[in-house]
Amino acid sequence: MLTVYCWLLCLYPGSYRHEFGEEMTSVFCEARSELPLVMAAKIKFYRREFCGLLLGALCAHFDLLFGHSIPFRRFDMQPQFRFPRSTVFLMLVIFAGVMLTIAKASSIAGDTVGSVWPSLISVLAFMLVTMCTAAAVVWRILHTLRRSGVRRLENVQSWMYSVESNGKR
Amino acid sequence: METFAISEPVLLVLLSLAERPRHGYAILKDVESMSDGRVLLSTGTLYGALQRLFDHGWIERVEEDNTARDRRTYRLTSRGRRNLQMEIERMRRLTKVAALRMARKEA
Repeated sequence: MLTVYCWLLCLYPGSYRHEFGEEMTSVFCEARSELPLVMAAKIKFYRREFCGLLLGALCAHFDLLFGHSIPFRRFDMQPQFRFPRSTVFLMLVIFAGVMLTIAKASSIAGDTVGSVWPSLISVLAFMLVTMCTAAAVVWRILHTLRRSGVRRLENVQSWMYSVESNGKR
Repeated sequence: METFAISEPVLLVLLSLAERPRHGYAILKDVESMSDGRVLLSTGTLYGALQRLFDHGWIERVEEDNTARDRRTYRLTSRGRRNLQMEIERMRRLTKVAALRMARKEA
């Protein structure tokens, strides 16, 4: 598992790995050594660690590219950034359609018509897998945000401001 | 106060360091005990929070000659302590309003 951890650590930007890589590995080893023998606890631990690493690597790259953290709170907080789940589904369908078009175009350009055209079933399977993966990632992010209690706090905060403004009137 | 999103894990990390300087694993264990086992930070989440706090100058490394590179200790800076106090004050006001509201509802 340490090998998997180190491999996932490679997903982080180089500067970040240089700064915190050794510490993170050391803390991971220390936490692992104190794990109970129960299999369920081990599975939970590894799942938490590996998901945390993936999300952490994503945030670190975003931070490096744009100079600030991923604005999860802002998207979660402002009503104009909320969109229904059907929008996510439609976006995925459009994405799959674009991918399919690119695949067809590249096979036509390669003059391989009739020989290496992907079958309809494999294309549909690819679309399904892509959509399921993307949906799982989105669900995981939303679930993490919900668990953090950030949204509940923000709701209370905005409610408090409205109380204050009513009081001033 | 600086515009810096204080999520629950970040707040718990700050509270952990408010008491005394700690290294990564000690912070993990302290956060777990502070939240009665409800918040279990992964190393990815912990070091993401530490990096952000470090970049904003809210925490700093304790420079010790005999400290190994994989076991460095962090502590709150004066700026971090000031901002944490403001955050706690904000939450205190919030709790007060909440209690008032609840009392009004019950009456």
